[in-house]
Amino acid sequence: MSAVPPPRERRHDVIVVGAGMAGSLIARHLGDQGWRVLVLEAGTDTLSTWEGHQEAVDTFHAALYKVPNAPYRPNAAAPSPGVADLEGLPTGGYRAHGYLLQRGPLPYSSDYLRANGGTGLHWMGLTPRMHPDDFAVRTTYGYGRDWPLGYDDLEPHYRAAEQQLGVAADAEEQREAVGLPFPEGYTYPMEAVPRSHLDHLLAGRLDGTALREEPGAPAVPLRVVTTPHARNSTPDPRYDDGHGYRPAGAVGPNAYGERCVGNASCVPICPAQAKYTPLKTQAVWGPHVTLVARAVVSRVLVTGDGRVTGVEYQRYEDPAGPVHTTHTAEADVVVLAAHAVENAKLLLHSRLAGSSDQVGRNLMDHPTLLTWALLDRPTGPFRGPGSTSGLEGFRTGPARSVRAPFRVEIANWGWAWPAGSPAGDVAELLGIPADTTAPRPGPLFGPALRQALTGRLERQFSLQFAVEQDAESRNRVTLDPRHRDRLGIPRPVLTYDLSDHVKRGLAAARNVSRELFRLLGAEDHTAYAPGPLAPGHFRFDGADLVFQGAGHGAGTHVMGDSPGTSVVDPWQRCWDHPNLYAVGCGSMPSVGTSNPSLTMAALTLRSCEQIHRDLMDLHRPVTLRPHPVDKAPAASRRPGGRP
Amino acid sequence: MTPRPTTPPAECAGFVAVSVHLTGFDEFTLRSTGMVRLYHDTTIEQVGRAAVGRFLGDLAAAGDDPGRITDPVSLDIARAITHLWYLGVWPRLARATHTALGRETANTAFVVSPQAWSEGLVWRALGGHAPGARPPGFGTWAAPPPAPHPRPAPSGARP
Repeated sequence: MSAVPPPRERRHDVIVVGAGMAGSLIARHLGDQGWRVLVLEAGTDTLSTWEGHQEAVDTFHAALYKVPNAPYRPNAAAPSPGVADLEGLPTGGYRAHGYLLQRGPLPYSSDYLRANGGTGLHWMGLTPRMHPDDFAVRTTYGYGRDWPLGYDDLEPHYRAAEQQLGVAADAEEQREAVGLPFPEGYTYPMEAVPRSHLDHLLAGRLDGTALREEPGAPAVPLRVVTTPHARNSTPDPRYDDGHGYRPAGAVGPNAYGERCVGNASCVPICPAQAKYTPLKTQAVWGPHVTLVARAVVSRVLVTGDGRVTGVEYQRYEDPAGPVHTTHTAEADVVVLAAHAVENAKLLLHSRLAGSSDQVGRNLMDHPTLLTWALLDRPTGPFRGPGSTSGLEGFRTGPARSVRAPFRVEIANWGWAWPAGSPAGDVAELLGIPADTTAPRPGPLFGPALRQALTGRLERQFSLQFAVEQDAESRNRVTLDPRHRDRLGIPRPVLTYDLSDHVKRGLAAARNVSRELFRLLGAEDHTAYAPGPLAPGHFRFDGADLVFQGAGHGAGTHVMGDSPGTSVVDPWQRCWDHPNLYAVGCGSMPSVGTSNPSLTMAALTLRSCEQIHRDLMDLHRPVTLRPHPVDKAPAASRRPGGRP
Repeated sequence: MTPRPTTPPAECAGFVAVSVHLTGFDEFTLRSTGMVRLYHDTTIEQVGRAAVGRFLGDLAAAGDDPGRITDPVSLDIARAITHLWYLGVWPRLARATHTALGRETANTAFVVSPQAWSEGLVWRALGGHAPGARPPGFGTWAAPPPAPHPRPAPSGARP
């Protein structure tokens, strides 16, 4: 760090709103091309130093509830939704506390994180590509919305994203088992992350068999397939025509940021920094990128002709303090990269991009069904990354016309997500119910307790069925001026539900799980009922089901090929505003069954090319004129604020 | 002259002996967590010396078998200390216990320190490690888990 005073320069080429994965990638690329980029981050910047990272690990260890946001300080000036904000009611239904206001029949059950690095600090780090079939679900299967792009358009950008995130995977296996096209000879930057012992056990019993999700349905061949990860494994020497790959960007001593060492805490924080986070991209930002944290963008500023001129933002020093100050910043291009819900909030509050009436609509997630069982032998639970393999056979095919498809993740952390293991098991065997007025059953102590615990925990495993949600205009983010955050910005109001197509997908997942457990000879312990920990409970076809959020918010500034029916064009540029981009999962017209971050990164890198072209076009008159343009007019448009 | 070897008194010897009965782990393992003093102090802070004294008496009267304690307050203290050892978390007491003890602190659960979470015995019962602490190394998750060794606790120790 140098002692040079901050630049006095007020005008930037690009303002990026949000320093998460998309925003950090955009800033890197445009900065490398020489554009002056100002990144405004609503949250605090506490993890980009070694001390700050260590403190977050400690905060996670000391947290009573190990929820995804646990390591990151609560911030009243830029609040984040948390998974513990939702409470199921005893006879069904839910109540929402916290930042998001919820008015739908079912709750939007996902969190996100407003901090430098964004939700990419606590993501699991799984990076499967979308399937080629996923881009045309309306045309092919009759539900949801089509993309204005196809897999082939995105393919080179997938490779670029895999380079930026440092993906470990086996291209040959992905080609064969998932059906993904790759250029001849492509290798990922790193070799696949080793499969867990559980994966090996399941592969031994499932590979080569087949399963019917109901009698008469076609048989789906089963095969355990390694999942791509943005997690350091062994660099593949064949990568990049034999140049290989070297992970970079971790803070702290040299040994950090090397291969995954099996902390088994990818969510909520990887202590070894083996998992990609946007902070690693920030570590290689060039000198043209300026980050200002604790700067909450409240409005995008626009002129009468629809061009945006910059943003208004609120700065605070102390997240707990009551004081904030209002500033503006100007730029030629503004890029919103603040999360699907926050991008929609900003567009709605600024009354922008609304001609199609699609802003905030088409909110999607991957509603996730958890099932859990005991195998007949130790599974080695609570070790390694959260999931290292999955079953890919239910991701596409004619069944999609009838029910939503799903990807099956094999979960390595026992019943941690579905049943709160092992803490829940300890409390139960000790006779400590959650309700302090409930009678306390006789406890086990000593060797009996220890053996009972081992017996209960060592054979645990669970499956996570991430179901595709179709874009529906009724699922949406709106604002209610009566409900504002501490800075006076309206809070997002969510209206969310699942279509019957999704519910049929969840019900099919339950059937597939039963069959899988039968084939595995596993004891199925899955049970769904309303209750405080089941806000996602609903009944369908006479059966109880409970879904979870996957943290994959999408669709709220949907991309399309026509200004009348979509918010952004295929470059994620707002149809209504030629120099305003809204990037991220909010642009996705459908989400397939893939964890969406890699696709978001690919789309983002693709947009960088167009933003660069837009900026070149804007600056072209300068270079074409015989004499340089006087700088004075630009300098006279001084925004009031200090970034 | 050779100085006569002396054995310094072990720290919190009584608390450790009781904890052996409660947890099923031996003294060496309990001490190796580094948590003995903190858990001892936490217990006294949370329920008071008098209640701890009654609990010790009740445990002795039960022949050092905590499962045979009949007094509900003492049994709840036994639950809490065991919970503390297994998870690093002081749990909420039964409301009746909380009232009977006349506690002035709130009846809330908390992780006593970041290290306490990492030292939870539940991970040792599995032959594993707490998430986010003591990672075993690249690729170790591919191997079968180590067989747990439910070594019976020595029964000779007295509080």
